[in-house]
Amino acid sequence: MSLIELKDISRRYGDGDQAVQALYPLDLSIEAGQFTAILGTSGSGKSTLMNILGLLDPPSTGAYWLDGRNVAGLDDNQISEIRNRKIGIVFQSFNLFSHFNILENVCVPMRFAGMPKKAMRDRAGHLLDKMGLGNRLTHRPTQLSGGQCQRVAIARALANNPPVLLADEPTGNLDEKTGQAVIQIFHELVSAHCSVIMITHNPEYEQEVHRAIVLHDGRVTRS
Amino acid sequence: MNFLHTLEMTVQNLACHAFRSILASLGVVLGVGAVIAMLAVSEGARGDSLKRIQTLGVDNIIIRSILTGPNGKSGDSAGKSGLDSYGITTRDLEHISSCFENVRHAVPVRHLHKTIYTNGRSTDLKLMGTTPEFLDVSRSTIAGSRGRWLTDQDSESLSLVCVLGTEAAQQLFGATDPLGKSISAGGFSFRVVGVLANRQGAQMDASSPLENIVYIHYATAKALFGNFLMSPESHRLIQVAADYVYVSVKETSQLPDTVARLRAYLGATHDTEDWMLLVPLELLQQQQATQRMFTIVTGAIAGISLLVGGIGIMNIMLANIYERTKEIGTLRALGGKKRTILLNFMLESMALTGCGGVLGLLLGFVIASLIERYAGMQTIVSPLSVAAALVVSVLTGLIFGSYPAWKAASLNPIEALRR
Repeated sequence: MSLIELKDISRRYGDGDQAVQALYPLDLSIEAGQFTAILGTSGSGKSTLMNILGLLDPPSTGAYWLDGRNVAGLDDNQISEIRNRKIGIVFQSFNLFSHFNILENVCVPMRFAGMPKKAMRDRAGHLLDKMGLGNRLTHRPTQLSGGQCQRVAIARALANNPPVLLADEPTGNLDEKTGQAVIQIFHELVSAHCSVIMITHNPEYEQEVHRAIVLHDGRVTRS
Repeated sequence: MNFLHTLEMTVQNLACHAFRSILASLGVVLGVGAVIAMLAVSEGARGDSLKRIQTLGVDNIIIRSILTGPNGKSGDSAGKSGLDSYGITTRDLEHISSCFENVRHAVPVRHLHKTIYTNGRSTDLKLMGTTPEFLDVSRSTIAGSRGRWLTDQDSESLSLVCVLGTEAAQQLFGATDPLGKSISAGGFSFRVVGVLANRQGAQMDASSPLENIVYIHYATAKALFGNFLMSPESHRLIQVAADYVYVSVKETSQLPDTVARLRAYLGATHDTEDWMLLVPLELLQQQQATQRMFTIVTGAIAGISLLVGGIGIMNIMLANIYERTKEIGTLRALGGKKRTILLNFMLESMALTGCGGVLGLLLGFVIASLIERYAGMQTIVSPLSVAAALVVSVLTGLIFGSYPAWKAASLNPIEALRR
């Protein structure tokens, strides 16, 4: 079985005349160690798909297997645990906690996992070191550049060593050179057998990935 | 996420917004501070008045003679002497001593209104005539090596001897031993035979403390100065057997019954209300009732101030959640459970009110000590009020933080992340 298996997944918001079909039924499977881009214009349904993949939003219909487990029908606690251990999420605007230093930021998912303090701080330091931020552990996000912040966000997403990394427009707030550096990090992760799924509206990134899934008006037009 | 991790995050969150946190808990700080100070003052006042009442003796009944008109009762109806008279009579004293089985002693006291001199120097000490049983009813003692108290032999021989209160001894003779020395009052000279040891501040009525009195035997006083005084209004002599009678009872449990019988007896035998009963036990009960009322009022004020403080906390927490919506969404996206978010915000509000409680406690201590220092009132901060203040302030955080925390935990992660 693939790392991610979607079967007949759809998403509909609201009821009756007000209802909006954000995503029409789709089947999709993503393998471990695959670099996937979900492309589409605004309103194409790519964010809806990402929210479903990230277990932030339940689908209206269909079944979702993640790492061999059917995640449909699980309660909030179970969903939160899976999100914590199996999925790392990187946001366009980084979403770092400005009142924590970057080491504490990276520690947050590990706190949720109940990791001992020393092991947690060691791993966070190691991840930030790998991102080239080993000498800035006590800096606050506000003291860093956009590219550095995004590297902290990636380190945080990788804190619990998840098999899937979801990145929502990860280069959207970065200049081209810094954006390219982020893509390079993703390549390294993929080579370490992590599945990276990147949501983007920029078709240029199609060249960088193993597979591009294109959405338009809630339907997959190419996968 | 375990509790310690949540607590650590809570402390980090609060520390990052220290100023805002202090402002948020200000309502609780002031509320707790005011209540602690009020309770300290009330507790101090209670201790003070209880001490006063207890020095009167809870198993005593005090009968006071009252001059109702300018001349009291007419001489025709009152005494054989033909003088006007008022208050407790010798016959009353005898009746109370002999017919009231629960009465142990009925001790008459006369204030003699004589200036006391020593070595030609006048003092403001009081001269009092009483019987030997006064030592028992006033719970006084004679200082070990300092002579003796008045005895019945003094009455039989009409000895011109006196006993001094400790303060009186100090005023009259300073550091020198007063025993055997003399004082003069009303044209007579009295030899000091003893010094009375009282509890600090003890007094038997609203007059001067026992420490400031010079005591002579009741019979001696009556023989030397008569049992009458000059009416301040009519300038006529009025007869009075005792200004006060201290009645001590055998069984405190039957004290209310004895009081009722005394009232009935005095009511029946006196034409006018020229007597008054002062019952320390009743005063104690009244004091306790007043105290209960004060505690209720203080409790109500505490409740209102904590309510106001709690609403303030709720308001701040709701604003806090609105401001941190995206942060909450991110925490959920990183795997934070609803209950973790709930616990996080609950702990924040409890920490705010708890710290507010501690600061309020310190403020209360400061206010109480300032009141004690500048207003001269005794204040007592009881351990119970300290514990109650801390528990109630943390509970305020728990109660008023529940709704905001529930709201934060119930946020839809996607909507929260969109902010």
